[in-house]
Formats: sequence, structure tokens, C-alpha cells
Amino acid sequence: MSLRRIAAIARQDLRILRTDPMAVVPLIVLPLVVMPFLQPAFRAAFHFAGLHRATGAEQVVPGMAITFGFFLVMNTCSSFFREHTWQTWDRLRASPAGTAEILLGKVVTPLVEVTLQFLLLFGFAGLLMDLHVRGSWLGLCAVGCAFAVFLVTTGVALTGVCRTYMQANAAVATGALVTGGFAGALVPFALLPPWAQSVAPLVPSYWAMQGYKHAIFGGKTVLVPILLLLGFSLISTVVAACRFRLDDPKIGPT
Amino acid sequence: MLKVRGVHKSYGPVKALNGVDLDVGRGEIVALLGPNGAGKSTLVSVIAGLHRPDRGGVWLNGVDTGTHPDLARRQLGLAPQETGIYPTLTVLDNLRFFGELAGLRKRDLLRRIDEVAAAFSLGDLLDRRARNLSGGEARRLHTAMIVLHRPPLLLLDEVTAGVDVQTRNQLLDLVGSLAEQGSAVVYSTHYLHEIEALGAQRVAILLEGRVVTAGSIPDLIGAFGDSFVELKFEQRPTGLDLPPGTVVVAENVLRVPAEDSPAVTAADLVGRLDRSGAPLREIRLLQPSLESVFLSVTAGAANGGPP
Repeated sequence: MSLRRIAAIARQDLRILRTDPMAVVPLIVLPLVVMPFLQPAFRAAFHFAGLHRATGAEQVVPGMAITFGFFLVMNTCSSFFREHTWQTWDRLRASPAGTAEILLGKVVTPLVEVTLQFLLLFGFAGLLMDLHVRGSWLGLCAVGCAFAVFLVTTGVALTGVCRTYMQANAAVATGALVTGGFAGALVPFALLPPWAQSVAPLVPSYWAMQGYKHAIFGGKTVLVPILLLLGFSLISTVVAACRFRLDDPKIGPT
Repeated sequence: MLKVRGVHKSYGPVKALNGVDLDVGRGEIVALLGPNGAGKSTLVSVIAGLHRPDRGGVWLNGVDTGTHPDLARRQLGLAPQETGIYPTLTVLDNLRFFGELAGLRKRDLLRRIDEVAAAFSLGDLLDRRARNLSGGEARRLHTAMIVLHRPPLLLLDEVTAGVDVQTRNQLLDLVGSLAEQGSAVVYSTHYLHEIEALGAQRVAILLEGRVVTAGSIPDLIGAFGDSFVELKFEQRPTGLDLPPGTVVVAENVLRVPAEDSPAVTAADLVGRLDRSGAPLREIRLLQPSLESVFLSVTAGAANGGPP
């Protein structure tokens, strides 16, 4: 395995992102725009629940990071599907780069994107939205990393499962809203109906939300959410290993 | 340089390759010729390692592509049939990427980009986004991307499809000079005149997934280069009395083997057609050439006989 080739593929995808940065709009710009609108509603909900020191940012920032973060799955899928549209996939496969090098090179850009999202959202909230991390910033970063790994591995798995870009797109849009809902990312978890609360632990986003909350409010360990997120990542990795075939014909975006 | 032995490849019930053998030496240009669906692109894909053969094997410089695909891929450059470039990036970035993948670095990489860009007339276009290139320019970039690291084997699958005459001639010249520099070239096409223009040392004719014959152009013409008279009618002719061996090329096109000279056969045919009243539109005399070889071989194989 050659780090140089992995870096070359990563740089190529970063160049593509630089020429068309719209891919990060749903990931970063939309949550930045939405968060200030939702914060008062969440602050009121916390106050109603007796948490008078809460600013609402404790809910809205991780909630939006998780919901919109799901679009990273789409960005991961896109980096493969567009190669099919541009007819460059076979060229890449016939190049000296091996399978592992292609896959590793391809996940670097999504990881850069999600790191940017994390820094900008939590940084913005820390500076302008009264987000106070009473637990651990390190724990917060660790949860962010575990969730990023889950999103990227899920992106590769979804690419393996879906034949067309539109299938992947539909799956991601649905997944973002449904898992965000179950996780308590869209409304406080306590306000979810009981059946949804009982289903929620089966959803990775729920554990991301729990992890972020534990790190922000403090008092509880982030280790369990992190381990469970890594467990979900392992499931995605197994699906990717079983279903991702380099020679599968794919229909990319037109 | 390249050794292909007994390669079979099926896609479901379709046998794309049915026991292909092929050898290409260093500096040699071998043209793969065959009608659509003959298996040319599949063979190129198998050699490039994009598809695993069901049976048989491919060796590049003695390296088995099945057991050491990574090592094998370092020795080849593939320009597939469809133009494959990154449209949002510049010509320079497209070239740089494939140079980096091939292991070129810094000064070496920039020097090779300059050399290749000059050879492919892309020097003034390096800063242009690939989506803004003309069809011919894009095709030149498509081909240039594989020669940066001077691979010992070049796989070119119909690289001149859809380009103008100037670009075609330029690409053929470049392929010829790459072979002169020592690269083995597998050149898949169905443009017969390109093979002659390219100066291919050998031609392998594929039909229904197998190499039905292979040899140098003079050898093939000597062995199979019959003369023909081709008759084109206004509409499908009926009730004609034509010599044995006549082949129906299309609904309104017949090809008659010329036992003597094509001119004598043509005169005889015109007499016969006059009597039948068939609406003849065009008559062509086909001298022994690669085209007549191809027609003989494919017609012979299609009729179940030896090529």
C-alpha cells in the first residue's frame, strides 16, 4: 500500500471539492443558518423541563450536526458515483492504485468535510450561541470522530448496495430525517412518543446525540455511545466488504 | 511483454471471450480488429485487470495479473473507449493526477507533463477546465493521461472514435512513436485504414470471443485477401442468379467473390443483372486489402468454415 497514491486520490477529490464547493452547503451552511432559528424553541423546552441554565444550544447544535451530518453519507457516495458519470472509474481501477488505496483515498475528503462541520458548528455555537461544554471538549471530539467514522463507512456501504445515484440520494435524505427524528435531534428526546423512544437505541444517530449530550452536560461517560457508534461502523464495514465491488456498474448523477 | 493464454469470460449466458490467446512483444503494435460485440473491449478490460477471466491467464512482463494485479497495473496504461476525464478540473490537474498515481513526483512529474502536453498539443490548454475542451482536445487529453509514466504496455480501445481527421492522424502518429520508444501497444479498432496508417506489425481478428486469425498485414492479405465485387441495390433484390459464395452484407448489399480479376467478375455480373432487371445503385471492386481479409475471415467464420 502506498501512502503517496492514497494522498494523490485524496488531493484529487479535494481539488474537485474546491472547484464545486456546493457539496458542503447541506453539511455546514444549512445547519449554521437553521441553528439560530431553532435555538429559542429548544431553550423554552429546556426551561419548561426545569433546566433553567440551558441555552437551547445544547440541543440544537448537536441535533443539527447529526441531522445535516448525515449528508456526509451522500458526499461519500458521490465521490464514487461521479467517477462512473465521468467514465474515470475504470481508469482509476486500471491505474497503479489498488483497491484499498482507492477506498482510503476516497474517504479522506469526507473526513475533512465532517471535521470542518464539527469545528464550524461547535465553534460558532461556542462563540455566538452560548454553548457551554460542562463535560469534556475531548469527549465531544471523540464522539464527533466516532460519528464521522460511522457516516463514512455507511457511505461506502451504501455505494455498494445502491446501483444508482438516485437510490443513494433517496436513502440518505430519508435516513437523515428519520434517524434524526429518532435520535431526538429534531425535537428533545423526552418529547418523542413512547414507541419512538423505545426504538431510538437501535438508531446510530441516537447514540451520537447521547454522546454529544453527555459531553456537553457532563456527569455521564461518552464511552458507551462511542463504542456503540464504532459497533455500527463495524456493521457498515461488513456490509461494504460484502457488497462493494469495484467492477459493479453504477449509474451516477447526470 | 504481454502474454494472454486461453482466456474465457462470460457475462451470464453471453460468452464474451472464448479461449483467447495473444502475444505482444516490446515495441510491437498489435491491432485488435472485429465487428461490434466481437469481444475486443472485453479482452482489453481483462488485460487491464478490470475483469477477471473465468479461465485462462494474462501475464505482463512475466507478472501474472491474476495473482499480482497491483504489480501488473504499474506496467500498463489504459485509454478506454469512452472519454474519461475530470471535467471540473483543469487539463494540468487531470494530467497531474495520473502522473502522481503512477509514482511521478515534483520535478519529474512537471517535466513529463510538459513533454506529454507538447506531444499531444495540450501545452496551451493546461489551465483550461476539461469541460471546456473540444471533443478532439478531450480525446487527446484522455490518451495523454496514460503515457505520462511511459508504461511498457499501452491498451488503446478505439481512442479515435468520434474525432476529426487531424486529431485522428495526430493520435495515430503519437501511438506509433510510443511504440518506437519501446512500448507494446494493443490497439482495438474497427477502422481498417487506421491499422494500415498505424503500421501495426500484427493484426488479430476477433469474432465471437475468439481470435480467428492473426498475422502481419501482408501475410493476412496473402492468405485471405480475396477480391470481391460489391453490389448495392436500390432495394432488396430478388430472383438473382449469382455465383456461389455470394455473401449478403446488408439487405440491399451483396458481395460476390471474384474468381478472376474483379473487373471480369463485375462485367459478368452486370450482364446477369441486366437480364434480371434488379435496380442496381452502385458497384465496387474490392482489391485484396485488409478490408477484404476482414470480410473473408468474418464471412468464413460466420458460415462455420475455417477462416
